[in-house]
Parts: sequence; C-alpha cells; structure tokens
Amino acid sequence: MLEYRSAAFVLAAMLALAAPTSAEEQRAEVIHWWTSGGESAAVKVFADQFQAAGGTWVDTAIAGGANARTAAINRTVGGSPPSAMQLNTGKQFDDLVENDLLANVDAQAAAQNWKAILPPSFLEAVTRNGHEYAVPVNIHGQNWLFYSTAALAKAGVQPPTNWDDLFPTLDKLKAAGLIPLAFSGQQNWERNLFNNVLAGRGGRNLFVAFWGKRDVAMVKGPEFRNIAVTFKRLRDYVDPGSPGRNWNDATNLVIQGKAGMQFMGDWAKGEFTAAGQTPGKEYGCTVLSDHGIAYVMGGDVFVFPQLKDANQRKAQQLLARVLLEPDTQIKFAQKKGSIPVRLDVDTSTLDACARKASGWIHDANAQVPANEMLSPPALTGAIQDLISQYWNDPNMTTDGFIAKVANTMTQQF
Amino acid sequence: MSATSREPRGRRPTRLTPARLGLYAFLIICALFFLTPLYVMIVTSLKDMPEIRQAHILGLPTAPSLAAWSKAWFAACTGLTCNGIRVGFINSLRIMIPSVIVSITVGAITGYALSFWRPRGAVLLFGVLIAVAFIPYQVFIYPLVRIFSYLGINNSIPGIVTIHTIFGLPTMTLIFRNHFAALPEELFKAARVDGAGFWRIFGIIMLPMALPIIVVAVILQVTGIWNDFIFGLVFAGRENLPMTVQLNNIVNSTQGEREYNVEMAATLLTAIVPLVVYFVSGRWFVRGIAAGAVKG
Amino acid sequence: MRIGSRLSTHLALAPALLIALVAYCGAMGWTIWISFTNSRMLPSSVFVGLRQYTSLMANERWQVSVQNIAIFGALFIAMALVLGFVLAALIDQRVRAEGLLRSVFLYPFSMSFIVTGLAWRWLLDPTFGIEKLGHDLGLTWFRFDWLVRPERVIYTLVFAAVWHASGLVMAIMLAGLRGVDPEIWKAVRVDGIPPWRAYLFIVVPLMRGSFATAIILLAVSVARLYDLSVAMTNGGPGIASEVPAKFVMDHLFERGNVGLATAAATTMLITVAAVLAPLMYWQRRQPARRPV
Repeated sequence: MLEYRSAAFVLAAMLALAAPTSAEEQRAEVIHWWTSGGESAAVKVFADQFQAAGGTWVDTAIAGGANARTAAINRTVGGSPPSAMQLNTGKQFDDLVENDLLANVDAQAAAQNWKAILPPSFLEAVTRNGHEYAVPVNIHGQNWLFYSTAALAKAGVQPPTNWDDLFPTLDKLKAAGLIPLAFSGQQNWERNLFNNVLAGRGGRNLFVAFWGKRDVAMVKGPEFRNIAVTFKRLRDYVDPGSPGRNWNDATNLVIQGKAGMQFMGDWAKGEFTAAGQTPGKEYGCTVLSDHGIAYVMGGDVFVFPQLKDANQRKAQQLLARVLLEPDTQIKFAQKKGSIPVRLDVDTSTLDACARKASGWIHDANAQVPANEMLSPPALTGAIQDLISQYWNDPNMTTDGFIAKVANTMTQQF
Repeated sequence: MSATSREPRGRRPTRLTPARLGLYAFLIICALFFLTPLYVMIVTSLKDMPEIRQAHILGLPTAPSLAAWSKAWFAACTGLTCNGIRVGFINSLRIMIPSVIVSITVGAITGYALSFWRPRGAVLLFGVLIAVAFIPYQVFIYPLVRIFSYLGINNSIPGIVTIHTIFGLPTMTLIFRNHFAALPEELFKAARVDGAGFWRIFGIIMLPMALPIIVVAVILQVTGIWNDFIFGLVFAGRENLPMTVQLNNIVNSTQGEREYNVEMAATLLTAIVPLVVYFVSGRWFVRGIAAGAVKG
Repeated sequence: MRIGSRLSTHLALAPALLIALVAYCGAMGWTIWISFTNSRMLPSSVFVGLRQYTSLMANERWQVSVQNIAIFGALFIAMALVLGFVLAALIDQRVRAEGLLRSVFLYPFSMSFIVTGLAWRWLLDPTFGIEKLGHDLGLTWFRFDWLVRPERVIYTLVFAAVWHASGLVMAIMLAGLRGVDPEIWKAVRVDGIPPWRAYLFIVVPLMRGSFATAIILLAVSVARLYDLSVAMTNGGPGIASEVPAKFVMDHLFERGNVGLATAAATTMLITVAAVLAPLMYWQRRQPARRPV
C-alpha cells in the first residue's frame, strides 16, 4: 500500500511541476540598437503592441550596430540566445542561416501573405533557400536631399530637380557665402553620398549591377566613370571642416541655415524635428535622380534564434506577428520617421517627406535596394575604403579608383 | 625592522628663485593644456542644445543649467527605458570591486613569484603573458565565450571577474615583478637566512614595501575595469550590465539625434568613481618606504 | 630552494599558468587556426591556406595601419615618457598643491576616449576649434588643421594620447622616485652636482625598473589603440589614421570577415614575439636578478 501511495505522490508532484502554468507570460528578450530619444519612443510602440497582444518585452538595447550584433551573436553561440535580434535588411544574417542558428518564419509569412504586402526586394532580402528568416519592420530611404529654405532663398535659388540642376545651384550657394553642401566626412556617409550619385545619376540598373552583380565590365565603362567624376566634383562644395564630422553636426549646419543642402537618409528628420523645424517650412526634402525616381531603400529586420523552450518559441511567433500588423506599422513609422514596410497601410498621417516616399514604394521601378541587401558586409567594407580614399586622397586619380574597384570586385568575399 | 615614511627631501624652499618660478610656470602651463578638454566638456554639459548648435565650443554658457546632468543620471533614454545611467551604477560596483581585488592579488603573487623565486620556465611564462597583452583583446572573445559557456560561468559575476583577471594578469604581473625586482637582494637574503618561507616573506616584507605600486595597480585596474564596455556586455549577463553599457547607448547612437550636453554630463558622471579613487589613493603616494630603512 | 618553498612557488603560479595555457595559448591557438579558414561572420572550418594572409599583405588599409602605428608608437612613447618623468620630477620638488597638480595630470586617464575623443575633435576642428580661436584673437595667419590633413592627422592622435597617458607615467615615475635612497639626494647636494645632471645621470639609471614598466605599459596601449582612433577621426580622413587594432575590430564585427581579422591579429602576435623572444633569451642568460 505504501508503495502505491508514494508512487502516486511522486507522480502528482511531477505532474504539478511539469504542467505549464496558465498564467505563463510570453517573454521575449529583444536585442536592438535603438537608443536615442526618438528611437526609444519608436521601440516603445513595438513593446506596447506586444504587451497588448499578451507578450512581455524584455529590452536589451545596445547602441552601435556592430556592438549589438557582437553581443547577440556571442550570446547565441554561448548558449543563451535572445528571443529576437535586430539586423539591417540584407546579408548580415547569411552566416547565421548557414550555421542553422535561426528559426524560420515561413508560417508567419504565409499567414500574413507577405507576397502581397511587402515590396518584392524586401521579401527577397529575407528569403534564403525558399524560407523566410527575418521580419522586416520598416523602410528607410537612404538618398534624400535635405535643404534649408532660408539658405536657398538667400542665394536666390530653387531646390534642384536633377543632377544637372544641382551644380549651378551649388555654385550660387557658394557665391552667396554659404556652405553649399553640408557633409560629414566619415566612411559611412562617404559611401552614402557615392550611392546617392550612383542611384541618382546612374539609375536603378547601374546600382544593382555595381553592388549586386559586381559587373566589372560596367565598372570599367563610361557611365561609371561619369559617376565617379560627379562624385569627386561634389568635393569642391563641402567645407574644410567636414572630415570626421558627425552627420548630426552636418545636419545642424542646414538647420542653422549656414549650409544649403545635405544628402542623408530620412533619419535626419529626427534632428530637424528636435530643433523644432517642419518639412515644407524651414526645410525641404527631395530625391535627385536623372532617370525617374530612384529611391534607395534599406531598413531593419528582426531575426529569431533557435530556442529550445516551447513557450519562448510561442513568444517569438507572437512578436513576429505583432511587428507587421498595420496598427503597429503606422504607429512605429510616425515615431521613427521611416515608412511602413507594409504596402497596404494608410500613410496620410505621416510627415510630408514620408508621404512623398510612400507613393514611390508602390512603384517597383522607383525602388533601388540598398547596398546592404545586395552585397555582403566584407565587400561593402572593402569598397567603402576605396571610396573614402578616392574622396579624401588627392593622389588617387579617377582611373586609379576604377582600377582598384574592379580589382576588389574580383576577390572572394 | 620598521618602515619609516619618507617625505620628499628637505623642507619646502621658501624663496622664490627664478628656477622656482620657472618650475611653477611650467607646471601651470602644462596644467592648462591638460585641463582644456575638461573645460570644453564641462561648459558643453551646462549649455542647452540650441546654444551648442552655435558651436562656440570654448565659450561659457549663457544660461548655465544642470538639466543635462540630471537627465544623464535619471532620465536619458538608453533603449526602451529612459532611466539614465544610474541603472548600471550598482552593477558596475558589483563587477569592479571583486575584479580589482582578485586581479591585483593574482598579479601581485605572480609577480612576486617570478621576481625572487625564478622557478624554471619563469621567463617563458612572463614572455607569454607580455606577448598576449599586445594582441587586440577582441579576438579572444569568441573562444572565451565558448570556454565559459562550457564551464557554465557565462553571463555571471564570477565570469566577468575571471575575464578581468585574465586580461589584467599581464600588466599586473609586469608592474609587481618589476617593482619587486628593483628591491635590494639583501632584504630577501636576510629574510631567507632568518628562515622565512615563500608566503611569510610575501606577507611580512614585500607587501608593505609594495604600497606605491599597489596604488598604481589600483589606478590601472579601477580605470580599466570601470570603463570597460565590451567584456561587461558579453560576459556579465543581462542582469549585471555595467554603467558603461548605458553610457554607450547614450553616446553611440548611429541614426538618432545626439544630445551633446547629456553625453558630456554622462561621461563626467561615469568618471567620478575612478577620480575619487585617484584622489583618495594620493595619500599613499606621499608615503613610501625607503630602501635604506633596512640598514637602520 | 627548500621543498616547501618550491611547492608554494608552484602553487602561487598555478592560476597564472592555468590562465596562460587555457585562455591565452588556447584562444591564440584558435585564432591562428581560424586565420587559415574562410570564416566570415562566424567561424567556419573550411581551410583556405594562406589566402587571408596574401589578402592582408595586399590590403592598402592594413599597410597604412602598420605605418601609422609605427609612427604613432615611437612618438607617443617618447613624448609620454619624457613628459611623465619631467612632471614627476618637478612635482617631487616639494611644490605647493601637490595633490591638486597630481590630480590635474592624472584625471585624463580616468575617462574613456569615447567622449574625450569627441572633445579633442572639436578642439582641433578648423572651423570652430583652436584655429578659429586664433582667428578670433586676430591671428588670421594661424592654421591648425592637422585633423583634416591626411599626412598630419596621425600626429593629432599622438597629442590626445599623450594627454591621456602622461599622468599615468607620472604616477609610475613618482612611485619610483620615492623609492630612491635618500642618501643619494644627500650625496648630490654635498657634492654640488647640478640638479639636471643628477637627474639625468644618476636618478634615471636608478629608476630603470620604473622606466621599463612605463615603456611596456605604453607599448601595450599603442598596440591596443582603438577607442581614440574611432572617437577622434574614425580612421579618417579616408584611411589616413587607420590603426591595426581598429583594422582587427572592424573586420571582426562590422565587416564579418573573421578570417582576415584573425590573420591580422596573428601577424601582430608574430611581430611582438619576434621582438620579445631575443629580449627574453637575453633575460634568461642574466645571472643576477635584473628588471626587464
């Protein structure tokens, strides 16, 4: 009799311990790099929406994309992966997929019909071997031109509409004693400016041929040469203090009306807003392109490491679903200054610049995938070094630059 | 044997000779050079952003305010939460205190063993320690993460203390070894003749004579560990993230707006702990143990 | 050595030995192994021979980094040693407010470069830093735009680094100075030797240990130079102020090229070992105890 009673007791205890508690919260730890005031408000939208759907957002914010990726990857290989981590839309998670460290979100993609609601290049960017591995959450335009209405008025010019217009405008700004082009001489932004010229002057196909196809023949051709020369020409219009300057300080020059224009991504709107300026009034935004609108689109995604715990996996799925819901998307875009990545969302509540762009994202021909989506980080870095040298080093000729780029394209990465 | 405290020699000269004046002039000019960046940081932290945008970096603030300081400590956004850098303060202490103690202890003992006792392979071990100090330590992160996760001490305080000991060992061993090696051999020999063993000599003779170098070691380790970011981020575990992680989040945003006044205030607040340690340790800088005391 | 002491010695050295073997040799061994693979963002085990090394040697940014670190290292170590020693010697002269002065020279060491580098960048910026200050004071010919000139930018890093480290050198030298036998000072006074001669020819040789310590600490911080380069110039303009530690860091994390980064780290190790090995060999053959 005693054995039966003990056995029953043990069994009951085991059952009690093994049964999932009904009030089990769906905890998801998320690693991301959104830490400034504006970014914090934006990520709060995600957290609140996730909370409202029954989840608990555990926040691990680490500024600096490289830092966040380092921490996330080391956590994953060290055996305590986060539930979700932020990456840029593109090739940053190739290795993670290859090493089978990520869970796929195929079910999610099917349920929300990603084919219909996402721009095709973004869907492609998150798909590997037929499976989807990341949830895109926003679209950031990288090749905007911001200008100060006051500065342009002082020089008596209109905002340029294409690249041929640009140089006379810059000349007039110079003549009026202003800094024509506010520029921040850090490698990222030198590459960004180059991409601006590449997409704007060269057009979508040239951009993809360069970063995606690594077309050496194209690089050695006359069109690319024209791009390189235009890029270098812009250097005559920046001020001597530009090397090393933070992009925010360059935006500040435009805000103060000391400079006419800046080529920057749409995150620059955050600085304008913080200074109390509104688009259309104190500053304006446009995209310069010669071959119809060429809007360079990048963004952020969340990936989901493989987890053992079933509850945590459920939390991941819940999070993945919430991130792409229309309500979440529009609220996030309002705070972040980006555009919702869902094509079927009503964008009339966004600011003037974002509204301009939402027309373009419905037009497949106007969209240029950002270089992160086309080329692996190692190749991007190597080309970036060359672009930076070309910009800064007077000893590097255009032909020299072209030859080195062609050479780098042929290396293995 | 008693240790006498040795003040710098002689009484303070009271006459202001030209040489003396030149001395002070040089020191003051150097001091101004050293203080300029601090001045820039402090005035920036007291201005508001519109004034900072004017970019008169050396100008005094027109309406100085401690708003940035308060925001940095209590309310700066460091991710989803906007609670400033105070969040990590206790964690930084919890990491720093054991790490400093353990790393200095291990370094002192190792340096002592390598200086006087010279076992076989001492030079080789010392060489390996020093060589490794020259390698960018980031390459060690991945293999150490694997090892620590295997040992089960990943994401914990013991883990981060071990990491700081590992990476502090070369410099700690170096400074203690060199300090002990410069002490006169008679001291050591006399103690051996008296029958003292390894630990007795260490505890009773060497340690009291190592006070100045212990101060240097404390300065090095407190600074390095308090300001460490990447190790704390990877090895300490989410519950134990040090203050430098919040500081990094305030300062290092890639695409967000930058509030320079808050950044400066946050950096200065972070620097207070090492500065206090320097200040307090200065008392032991004045006292030193004269090598000649043993003759007395 | 008696048995008891020998055992104690080995026991005392056990932690260091353990760390050296497992953490250092183990991790370094792994690093060297990975440098022969095609690892991108995560380690892989596909062996590719010396491909990473040939890429490295042909990599212009690496070549610039190596040149820069040599220039930076020589200037920085020399200037920090001299300034640190001079400050220590002067402060040791029974000056007033010794504690305050010591703090003034030592405080830069307490702050991480992330933001102090930004302060230096502002100060050296030609449009609103000290060049502008000079112009405002009426000196219109005054130029100090080294920060934005590729051939001069590395020297600005030296400035900021000397500012950062001299205080520490001063502290080490003070500790050493205070260990000098007071009989020496008496003898100097009695013999009427002028102070500068006394310092140069008597005191400095007596402080070999402190100098050795300071030189090695400074050399280690030269090899580790990363934060300052990122905060002040981010390797720019262009790649003019790139340094090896930044090369390794960028390729390890940002660029997902672990193979190339480990090849660079291994190259640094080989260089350091090549310099240290003869020194260590010479050390072993020394009969008497001498500091490194």
